[in-house]
Amino acid sequence: MDFQAIHDRLRAVAAPGLVGADLPRKPDPKVKKDKGRAGDPFVIVEAQRLVEFLEVCRDDDRLKFEQLVDLSATDPAKDDAQLWINVQLLSLKFRHRLSIKCLLPKAAPSMPSTVPVYRASQWHERECAEMFGITFVGHPDPRNILLPDDWVGSPLRKDYEFPKEYHGISCE
Amino acid sequence: MLSLENQFEENVLTTKVDWLINWARLSSIWPMTFGLACCAIEMMAVGAAHHDLDRFGAGAFRASPRQADLMIVAGTVNFKMAERVKRLYDQMPSPKYVIAMGACATGGGPYYKYGYTVVKGVDRVVPVDVYIAGCPPRPEALLEGLMKLQEKIRNSSVIRKPARTA
Repeated sequence: MDFQAIHDRLRAVAAPGLVGADLPRKPDPKVKKDKGRAGDPFVIVEAQRLVEFLEVCRDDDRLKFEQLVDLSATDPAKDDAQLWINVQLLSLKFRHRLSIKCLLPKAAPSMPSTVPVYRASQWHERECAEMFGITFVGHPDPRNILLPDDWVGSPLRKDYEFPKEYHGISCE
Repeated sequence: MLSLENQFEENVLTTKVDWLINWARLSSIWPMTFGLACCAIEMMAVGAAHHDLDRFGAGAFRASPRQADLMIVAGTVNFKMAERVKRLYDQMPSPKYVIAMGACATGGGPYYKYGYTVVKGVDRVVPVDVYIAGCPPRPEALLEGLMKLQEKIRNSSVIRKPARTA
């Protein structure tokens, strides 16, 4: 199935939390500075209902997304109030893919863990948690995965301030 | 001073204690098996047949710091690793030497500005004897670094006070 067909199917089965779809757009030559939008088409889903949405994606007869390929986060800009969660799904049976995006408020980013649906997301969620300060409620092992256990701050946030020293080693 | 030359029977050589100790040290610098990033690939190339670190007596990569004389810091040192590097250095018996191989170990390299977890030079953690430039350095550069270290050992002194240079 192509993206349009997947989106139609998600609409038909009334996938919970589905907000809408975003297709790549070519730049409008009449508008100055319009760069369009490149990249894969994606669906936007409410972050708090992502788990139910993924359950439908995994179990629906026509979709059958058996694999979670990636779960990552993005901080688009310093003055932006929201973080993006990006999820990539893959169906080996039907050979199709789906990009999912969710918005999370930067002030207190928190969403239910997707580990009950896809166990592959365990390490991805740990990385998002330490790099962006996102809380995944119900994660079975919420330790840091890359950074030291006592690390302060979320390094991939745009407003991150670099440490002055760590355990007596100067960072200047 | 009485000359010791030709005072003994044949097959007896005389030398200075300093020379003998330095010769022994610089001819068998055993490095620790220890690589942190892509520089380690070049280090392995130096250890392999084509460049052959063994020609300089430094080919016996030891799997334990307690048997090693030389720590080749080959790669990026981050804060999580820095504590381990320090512990490994402390576990090595004296005399011990450290080579900072490549831009990362020398001064943070390409991660200097935005690498939030990268130590800006391994000399902030352990004392370094020889720095090697490059990203990564050619195997020949590591060989030269090793020879520089040998030169340094050759000029060191255990018994006599080092000659003062003006």
